[in-house]
Amino acid sequence: MNTAISISGLKALLPFLIMTAAAMVVMLGIAFRRDHRFTVLLTLAGLALGGGSLVFTPFAPDRYVTTLVLVDAFAGYYLALLFAAAFAVVCLSYSYLEIQGGHREEYYLLVLLAVLGAAVLAAATHFASFFLGIEILSVSLYGLTAYQRHRDQSVEAGVKYLILAAVSSAFILFGMALVYAEVGSMEFARIAIRAGAAGGALLGTGLVLIIVGLGFKLAVVPFHLWTPDVYEGAPAPVTAFIATVSKGAVFALVLRFFGNMDIRVGGALFLIFTIIAVASMFFGNLLALMQQNVKRVLAYSSISHIGYLLVTLLAAGPLRLNASAFYLAAYFVTTLGVFGVVTVLSTRDRDADKLDDYRGLAWRRPWLAGVFTAMLLSLAGIPLTAGFIAKFYLVAAGIGSALWLLVIVLIVNSAIGLFYYLRIIGAVYSMDGPPGPSMPISLSGSAALGGLTLALLWLGIYPGPFLALIGSLMQTAH
Amino acid sequence: MLKYALIPLLPFAGFLIAGLFGKYLKEKAAWFPIAGVVGAFLLSFSAFLDVLGGTVIDENLYSWISIGSFSVNVGIQIDQLTAVMLMVVTTLSSLIHIYSVGYMHGDKGYPRFFAYLALFTFFMLVLVMANNFLVMFVGWEGVGLCSYLLIGFWYEKKSASDAGVKAFVVNRVGDFGFVLAVLLIIATFGTLDFTEVFAAVNTPVADVTYSLFGGEIAVVTLIALLLFLGATGKSAQLPLYVWLPDAMEGPTPVSALIHAATMVTAGVFMVARCAPIFSLSEVAMNTVAIVGALTAVFAATIGLVQNDIKRVIAYSTISQLGYMFLGLGVGAFSAGIFHLTTHAFFKGLLFLASGSVIHALSGEQDMRKMGALKSKIKITHAVFFIGSLALAGIFPFAGFFSKDEILWSAYNSSDLGRVLWVLGVAGAFMTAFYSFRLIYLTFWGKSRVDHEVAHHVHESPKVMTVPLMILAFFSITIGLIGMPGALIPHANWFGNFLAPLFPHAEHAAAESHGLERMLMVFSVLVALAGIRMAYSFYVKSTAIPGKIVEKFQGTYNLLLNKYKVDEIYNYIFVDGLVHKLAKVLHSIGDVKIIDGFINGLAAAIGNTSVQGKKFQTGYVQQYAFAMGAGMVVLVGLYYVLK
Repeated sequence: MNTAISISGLKALLPFLIMTAAAMVVMLGIAFRRDHRFTVLLTLAGLALGGGSLVFTPFAPDRYVTTLVLVDAFAGYYLALLFAAAFAVVCLSYSYLEIQGGHREEYYLLVLLAVLGAAVLAAATHFASFFLGIEILSVSLYGLTAYQRHRDQSVEAGVKYLILAAVSSAFILFGMALVYAEVGSMEFARIAIRAGAAGGALLGTGLVLIIVGLGFKLAVVPFHLWTPDVYEGAPAPVTAFIATVSKGAVFALVLRFFGNMDIRVGGALFLIFTIIAVASMFFGNLLALMQQNVKRVLAYSSISHIGYLLVTLLAAGPLRLNASAFYLAAYFVTTLGVFGVVTVLSTRDRDADKLDDYRGLAWRRPWLAGVFTAMLLSLAGIPLTAGFIAKFYLVAAGIGSALWLLVIVLIVNSAIGLFYYLRIIGAVYSMDGPPGPSMPISLSGSAALGGLTLALLWLGIYPGPFLALIGSLMQTAH
Repeated sequence: MLKYALIPLLPFAGFLIAGLFGKYLKEKAAWFPIAGVVGAFLLSFSAFLDVLGGTVIDENLYSWISIGSFSVNVGIQIDQLTAVMLMVVTTLSSLIHIYSVGYMHGDKGYPRFFAYLALFTFFMLVLVMANNFLVMFVGWEGVGLCSYLLIGFWYEKKSASDAGVKAFVVNRVGDFGFVLAVLLIIATFGTLDFTEVFAAVNTPVADVTYSLFGGEIAVVTLIALLLFLGATGKSAQLPLYVWLPDAMEGPTPVSALIHAATMVTAGVFMVARCAPIFSLSEVAMNTVAIVGALTAVFAATIGLVQNDIKRVIAYSTISQLGYMFLGLGVGAFSAGIFHLTTHAFFKGLLFLASGSVIHALSGEQDMRKMGALKSKIKITHAVFFIGSLALAGIFPFAGFFSKDEILWSAYNSSDLGRVLWVLGVAGAFMTAFYSFRLIYLTFWGKSRVDHEVAHHVHESPKVMTVPLMILAFFSITIGLIGMPGALIPHANWFGNFLAPLFPHAEHAAAESHGLERMLMVFSVLVALAGIRMAYSFYVKSTAIPGKIVEKFQGTYNLLLNKYKVDEIYNYIFVDGLVHKLAKVLHSIGDVKIIDGFINGLAAAIGNTSVQGKKFQTGYVQQYAFAMGAGMVVLVGLYYVLK
C-alpha cells in the first residue's frame, strides 16, 4: 500500500490545498482588517483560484492519493460544481449580510471550511476521508445555520441540526465499525467486493447504518424530519448552501460508495433504496402541498428531488453517472436561483418566506419575478428549463433499466409537484400585492441571479455541449 | 427553411416585451404581441403556400438532448396537417389579439393579458410544428400551463382559482397518459422522431405485448390508448371533460382562443398526427370513436338547459370536439381535422360575439337576464346568428360540410359506425336546439335586462366588431373548401390537400352518392327541426318550456346539475381519496403537518410562539426517535429481504 505522497500526488491535491489555504487566509485577513467587502473578495478569490486550479489538476482514473482520496474526473466534476455553487452562495450572502448588522466576516470562513469538507467527500474513497469530510462539512454548517444569533428561529435550527447531525454521525461511525469488523478494510473498493451476496450480518447491518446516516444528510424519508425546520430557520443563503453543496457532496459520496456495489434488482439494498426513493417522492410532494411557508415548501420539494435522484443510483448502465451529474447541476442552478430570490427579497428583520411576500411581485419587479418563475418551473420540470432535461434524463436512465415502478412514481410525483410550484407562481402574478417599497438589489445579488438564470436556460434549451462534457468526463470514471 | 422557426419565435418576442416592459408600456404593450402574432400569420401563410406547392419541411434545428445512442432534436415539421393548423392558429390568434384591444381596454392587467396570450400562441405553435414527441410535449405542457394561469389567476375570485385547480388536476390525469405513452415509445422504438416512429410501427420492432390486468395488450394499442387518454384531458372528452365548463371563468377572448378554437383541439391534432399508430389498433380506433360520439351527445344534453351564455357554448365545444374524435375514430382523419378547422372559426366567432354581448350588458352572463337585444346590438346579433347557423350545420354554412362528412364517414364505416351515426344525428338535433335557444333567449323575445344595465347597452367598438365580421365571413365560406363528392365530384379541396397524410378515397363509388345526399338532407332537416322547436319554445309560446320542466322535473334537474358528475368525482376522489390521504399523513405524523393546517386557518398569528414551544416540548427527540425507528425498520427489512 502506498502511503507516501508524491509530487504528482500533491499536484492532484491542489484544489484541496487551495481551499485550506483560502480558509486560513480569510481567517488571518479578518484579524487584520474587519471589512465585509474585503472578506467577501478574499473568499471569492479563494473559490475562483480553487476552481481555476482544476484546470491544472492531473485527473486520472487511478489517481489515488494515498488510499484516502481518488482524484479522477468524477471528483473533478463535482469539485467544479461545488466550487461554483459556493461562489454563487457567497455572492448572494454578501447582499444578504450587507443589510444585517454584527460580525459578518466569520461567516465566509465557515463557508470555505464547509466547501473543503464537501470537496473531500466528493473525492473520498476511504472511511477516514469520508468521515473527515462529513464532519468538517457538518461542524461548519452548525455555525452557519445559527449565524443569525438575534433570531430565535436561526439559533433553534442550528441546535436542532447540531443534535440530529451528531446522532447521524454516530450511526455512520457505528456502521463503519461494523463494516470494518467484517471486511477488515476501510477502502470503498474492497468493501464493494465483499458487499455482494456473500456479505455477512455485520457488513449488512453496517451498510444500513451508513445509509441511515447519509439519509439524514440527504434528507430522505424517514430521516428528513429536520429539513423543514432547518430550512425555515437558517438564513436564506445558508439554506441554499445546505440544499446544494452539502447534499450534492454527500450524493457524490453515495454514488462512489454504493455505486461500485452490486445493487442488483431484487436485492435487499436495491429494495431499501427503492423504498426510500418512493417514500421521499411521495412524502416530499404531499407534505409540500400543505405548507404555507415558501421555505418549508422548498424544503419538502428538496426531499422529493433527492428521491428522484435516487433513481439514478438504482439504474444500471453507464448512463446513471451522467444522469446524476446532469441532474445535480440542474438542481444546483435551480435551487440556488430560487433561494437567491428569497435572499434578495429578505429584509433585516426576517427572511421573505411568506407567500404574501411574493404576492404581486411581477408588477413590482418583473425581472426578478421572471427569474423566480423560471426557477420554480425548472423545479417542477417544465420544458425549456434545466429541470426538464434533468428529469427527462433520469426517466430515460430509469426506463433504460426497466425501473417502471420508479419511473411511474416519479411522473405521478412531478404532476403533484407542479401544483405547489404553480401556487407560488400564481401569487407572484396576482394583482393584489402590497405596494412596492422596494429596496434595490445589490450588484452581487443580481449578478448571481443573472448568471444562474442564463445557466438555467442554457441547460434547458441547448444542453448538448454540457451533456457531451459530462459524457466524456464520466466515461473515465466508473 | 430556417425562417419558419420564426413562426413561434415572433409571438414569443411579443410575450417577452409585453411581459417585462408592460409596466412602462401600459396599453401600448398590446402592439408587440399583436405584431408578433400577425408576423407569425404572414410567415405561416408563406409556409402554407410552400406546402401547397409540394414542399414539405422536416428539419432539425439542433440536437437538444443526446444520451448515449438516443437523441432528440429540436426540429420543425411543416406538412399538410401542420400547415392547416398553422393557418387556423395564427388567423384566430391574430383576430383575437386585435379584438382584445377593445375588450380588455381599461383592465388593470392589460399588458399581462397580452403577454399570456402571446405566450400561449408560442406554445401552441410549438405544439403543431414539432417534429418529434418531446418538442410536442413542450407545447403540450406550455399551452396547459398558460391555460391554468389564465383561468385561475386572472380574477381574484374563489370560483376562478377553483376552476384553475380543477383544470390543472384533470389535465394532469390526461398528461400522465401522454407521458407514459412517450416513455413507452422510447422504450419500444428508441426514438421520438415522428417519421422514425411512424416508419417503425409496422416493423417487427413493434411486436411487443405487455400483460396488463391479466390480459395481453399489444404495445401499439397501449401507446395509442395512453395517447388518447392525454387527448381526452386536453380536449375535454368523457370522462375528463369536467374542467372545461368551469374554465369559462377566464376572460372571454381566452375562452375563444384557448378553450374553443385552439388548445382544446390539441388532442384532436395529436391523434391525427399519430394516425399511423392509431390506424394499427382497432381497439384504440373504436375507443376514440365511441368516446367521441358519447361525448358529443352527452355534452349536448347538458347544453340544452344551461343558463349561462358562455357555459352553453362551452358544452357545445365539448360536444363538437366529440364529433371530431368520432371522425378520427372511424378513420376519417381529414374529416376530423376539417371539422376542427371550421369549428375554430365559428366557435371562435360565437365566443367573441358572446363577449360582445357580455360587454354590452356590463358583465351579465345569465341569459335569463337578457332578451330583445337584436335591435340594440345589431352587428353582434347578425354575426351570432351566422355562427349559430354554422354550428347547427345548416347548408351552406361551414359546420354543415364538416359535420356531414364526419356523419357520413361514420355511417359508412361499420355496424358500430351506424350506431354512432344515430348518436351523431341526435346530437345534431340538440345542437341546433340549444344554439337557437341561446339566440332567441338572448336577442329575441321580451327584454329581461336589468333596468340599470339596460341604459348602458351599446354596440362594441370597431376594433371588436371587425374581427367578428371577418370570422363571420369565414363561418359562412370556409366549409366550401371541403365540398363533398356527392354534391360536386372531386371538389373536396381540403380532403385532397391532406390526402398525402390521410389517404381518402372519395368515399366509395358514385352509386352511394344518392344515399349520401339523402342523409345530408335528412340531417339538415333534423337541424331545422331543432331550430323550429327552439323558436316555438322561446319566441312563440314561451310557456312551453316551463310546462315541460314541470313535467320532467327529475330529468331537468339532472341535466341542469350536469348529471352530478362533479359531485360524484368530488365524492370519490376529493372526499374519498385526498382527504383520507391527508388524514393518513396527518396520523403518521410529520408534526409540522399540523402546522400546515393551522397556518391555513390562522395565518401567521402566534406562529413564533408556537415555534418556541415546540422546541421546548422536544420535537428534536421525536426527530431523533424517528431516525432510530427508521434504522430499525431498514435493518429489519435488510434481513427479511436478503
